[in-house]
Amino acid sequence: MKNFTYYRPQSLEAAVGLLDAKWGTTELLAGGTDLLDLQKEYIAQPDKVVSLGAIQEPRFKTIHVQEQTKPYAIIGAGVSLAEIAAHPGLKKNYPALTTAAGDVGGPQIRNMGTLGGNLCQRNRCWYFRDEHVPCLLKGGDKCYALDGENRYHAIFTKGHPCVIVHPSTLAPALIAVGAEVEVQGAKGKRAMALEKLFQAPRSAADREHVVAPNELVLSVWIGGQGLKNASYEVRHKQAYDWPLVQAAVAFTLQGNRAGSVKVVLGHVAPTPIVADAAAKALEGKEVTEATATAAGEAAAAMDGIKPLAQNAYKVKLVSVAVKRAILTAAGQKKYWEV
Amino acid sequence: MATSWPKNRRLIGTKVQRLDGPAKATGTAKYSYDINRPGLLHGVILRCPHAHAKIKSIDPAAAEKAPGVKAVYAIRKAGDELYYAGEEVFAVAADTEEHARDALRTVKVEYEVLPFLVKEEDALKEDKETAPPLQNSRKNVRAGAGGGQTQNVDDGFQKADATHNGTYGVPVICHQCLESHGLVAEWDKDGGLTVWASTQAVTGTAQALAGYFAGKYKIDLPATKVKCITHYMGGGFGSKFGPDVQGQVAAELARSAGAPVKIMLDRADEVVTAGNRPSAFGTVKIAGTKDGKITAYEIDCHGSPGVGGAASTVGPLPYVYPFQSRRKITAVRLNTAAQRAMRAPGHPQSCYLTDCAIDDLAAKLELDPLQVRLMNLPLTDPEALKNAPLSFNALKHTIYTKEIEIAADLSKWKEKWHPPGKGNGNGPLKRGIGMALHTWGGSAQGAPNDCTVLISADGSVTAQSSTQDLGTAQRTVTGLVVAEILGLEPGQITVQIGESQYGRSTGSGGSTTCPSQAPAALRAATAAKAELFKAIAEKLESKPEDLDIEPGKVVNKSANKSWSWKEACAKLGMNQVKATGTWTAGEANQKENEGVSNVGVGGVQVAEVVVDTETGVVRCTQVVGVQDVGLVVNKQGCESQMAGGIIMGVNYALFEERIMDRVTGRQCNPDMEFYKLGGMEDMPKIIVHMHDMPERGVIGIGEPATISTHAAIGNAIFNAIGVRVPHTPFTPDRVLAALAAKGGKS
Repeated sequence: MKNFTYYRPQSLEAAVGLLDAKWGTTELLAGGTDLLDLQKEYIAQPDKVVSLGAIQEPRFKTIHVQEQTKPYAIIGAGVSLAEIAAHPGLKKNYPALTTAAGDVGGPQIRNMGTLGGNLCQRNRCWYFRDEHVPCLLKGGDKCYALDGENRYHAIFTKGHPCVIVHPSTLAPALIAVGAEVEVQGAKGKRAMALEKLFQAPRSAADREHVVAPNELVLSVWIGGQGLKNASYEVRHKQAYDWPLVQAAVAFTLQGNRAGSVKVVLGHVAPTPIVADAAAKALEGKEVTEATATAAGEAAAAMDGIKPLAQNAYKVKLVSVAVKRAILTAAGQKKYWEV
Repeated sequence: MATSWPKNRRLIGTKVQRLDGPAKATGTAKYSYDINRPGLLHGVILRCPHAHAKIKSIDPAAAEKAPGVKAVYAIRKAGDELYYAGEEVFAVAADTEEHARDALRTVKVEYEVLPFLVKEEDALKEDKETAPPLQNSRKNVRAGAGGGQTQNVDDGFQKADATHNGTYGVPVICHQCLESHGLVAEWDKDGGLTVWASTQAVTGTAQALAGYFAGKYKIDLPATKVKCITHYMGGGFGSKFGPDVQGQVAAELARSAGAPVKIMLDRADEVVTAGNRPSAFGTVKIAGTKDGKITAYEIDCHGSPGVGGAASTVGPLPYVYPFQSRRKITAVRLNTAAQRAMRAPGHPQSCYLTDCAIDDLAAKLELDPLQVRLMNLPLTDPEALKNAPLSFNALKHTIYTKEIEIAADLSKWKEKWHPPGKGNGNGPLKRGIGMALHTWGGSAQGAPNDCTVLISADGSVTAQSSTQDLGTAQRTVTGLVVAEILGLEPGQITVQIGESQYGRSTGSGGSTTCPSQAPAALRAATAAKAELFKAIAEKLESKPEDLDIEPGKVVNKSANKSWSWKEACAKLGMNQVKATGTWTAGEANQKENEGVSNVGVGGVQVAEVVVDTETGVVRCTQVVGVQDVGLVVNKQGCESQMAGGIIMGVNYALFEERIMDRVTGRQCNPDMEFYKLGGMEDMPKIIVHMHDMPERGVIGIGEPATISTHAAIGNAIFNAIGVRVPHTPFTPDRVLAALAAKGGKS
């Protein structure tokens, strides 16, 4: 690991003040489950590491769930994944989120990892993570996954020179329930719909998100109480694994009819994918295995899907994940459980 | 003198907890990684990033002057050719690991990058001759050898009622020892060397280092001046037999720095360089008659030993069953690290290439594959039955038949088995059950194994051996045997193992440690008992031959007298009893020693799976392991070995695969993230049945435990979905592809 200067500011303002205006020289340290790996592998080589560990500002460190009048929830970016997974108010209103948080890695990762870190983590592509491979995101001129070992890579590849998948499983869940994210910079705060936070990186100058190098994620706001929601991951291993494909869904249910449907896919593209076609297929319909299947198939037929040599299987998994997420959200029988 | 196990056994065959369990659980057990000597330096190794390259130049000037650096060592020089990504080039030792790593990055190496091959299929398509020279050839693809004789199969294929053609394959997998390879090396003022090494060959490592330094520096370094210490060890599985490059390098660095040096491999280096099991891909033609008799088996298979020179990457083929057979075996040498022995080398591959084909043929014959197995078991050798009635050759037909019956009962085979793909499933979940058989040796080693027992006047008993406990619970075996003979509890024996000065021992390979060491402990304790009686008889007013042991005491039955163990030992006064016992395969073969240790076991495993046919995800829900074992010494240790072997087999079946990139020549998954290993949630219920035959004596079963699990799981998947998934690991994409190829018929 390259030597660096370590800062442990007491306030968000001080933290932001320590950040540089370009990527590469400063890094924010939250739980450290990603950054330390990146540093040890010389993928990240910052001169300054700014720890967020001493910051106690409630907006950053707490979960607030309001259930009366205009219900909403605010989750600080410094909150751990374990806290999110175990929070009763979140579990009741946003099971998509708490399921996703509870399935991340293992207990150590969930105890250390934070919401902000989960949203801003770097991708897991094995070419990106190997110091000796000069891939596009490390200043090289090609993506090695395109024609290489790409069983876990993107199936939404059209227009993407780099075919990583976005690793966050909290992001699709949060986007499904309409989350907004608040970002703090030197000149104040800005907010945006969470799906706007992510971008497909094209070079070493890009991250997987649009947070500026001298900004930090402050908190996530969720309205959307009363939405039926769920997240479903197709996983190779049950313990300690990334999903092959994730689907998060949210909708209102009147009678048995779904409204305001949102379907979001994870681990299929460089960003979380809002699957409007799937939502449209279910909108206004009764939730049954047949309509859920149709929504899944609509997701799997989306424009932009062009699998690589080794990952066409993920297209099929998209349809299954969407179907199962919909049936779970609607509280129907999980026919796939042993 | 003839040796035999006690007729009435108080401890042997019971469940005894590991003597070192608390030390391991609380962290007081010190592994090589935990050894920190005064003035310790940290060594790190620079490795070639290319799969094949020639070193044009090395400039270490900056590293030599880097902060904290105390020694550097050039492993390779300009002009040298390197054959895989990960080969060692240069090393430094510094006061901290961070300094060492920083310094290493300043070493400037210029490489001429050469063509390479890292995938079997690429090498078979075009041989680029990129392998290290072997018999004056650099060919990647060469004829291999395999166990068994080539026979006439034409008649067998002609008279068959059904023939099946199939392909089956297992990829290269990595050892992934939880404790990585490495050691601490320290030279003393008198020119002696001590290493705290993670090794499965304590004496072998000491001897190899002595030979290396004596030869290289023309110094007088007898093996007695090199001490290897391995008190605790975190797994080897066949990959930790010598000092390895990092062992030599640590000792070299320690020598030039005049300070102890630690090198433990990091995870990526461990996975890439420190051991792998060769792949095996076979095209099989198998045929049989309607009664289930298999009449012919023909295989064309290839596998990769990496840069290793091994001619063979498979074990006996066909496996277990004596079909008429013909084979062609090809070794594909790649620019990847050399294969190492891995828990029953060659056998898991052979088991898979044989046992899966049996189920596919059984399906064509519309027979229960269990019945087909019974029809084709190896027959009893009448000569063996006459001359060596306790030998495996005399018993194997009986053993397999009985084991299949037990495994069928424990797994409820009759109830659960259905024709492939025809089970009652709920929705997309399909259940299946599958079986596979295996065999192994597990004899005592040819070279001697010593155990020494000391009894002191305070009643304390110490058992010493230079053997090693890889996590197998060998320490407990030694304590248990000595305690049995001396009428004590295992916890009362101080077991000192894992130091090369404690006599002779052999490396732990081939499941030979227990059958070598348990009889040595038996002999040592028996001799120590006799010595004790001789030394104290007079003071007990008895004759030595009248004295005997009962739990916790020494007795003179004829005089109707008894003394507590402590009382009796106190009579030693200033004396101490010390006796050494030795065991070898030669001793085991003496007629008078029949039943002490033996060789040859058979085993049967039955796996159950649930396949989610929508996602292709396979869950293994239960594995039944029935294992022929001879005399069980510690039932808990035995069952634990079985469970560990089955867990390894489940990982082989469902998760593990070394993924190489053909463009960079590098391993994509040198980690525990995408090199997948199941966690607790991924593990089945494991039911172990020790099919013991105490009259046969001790036989090692560390390796057989893992051989047939993946084949049984493969067969269970076939049974569940009615289509063969040809290659492990059985990942969702492979299962979905097999289902798609079947065309949605279910």
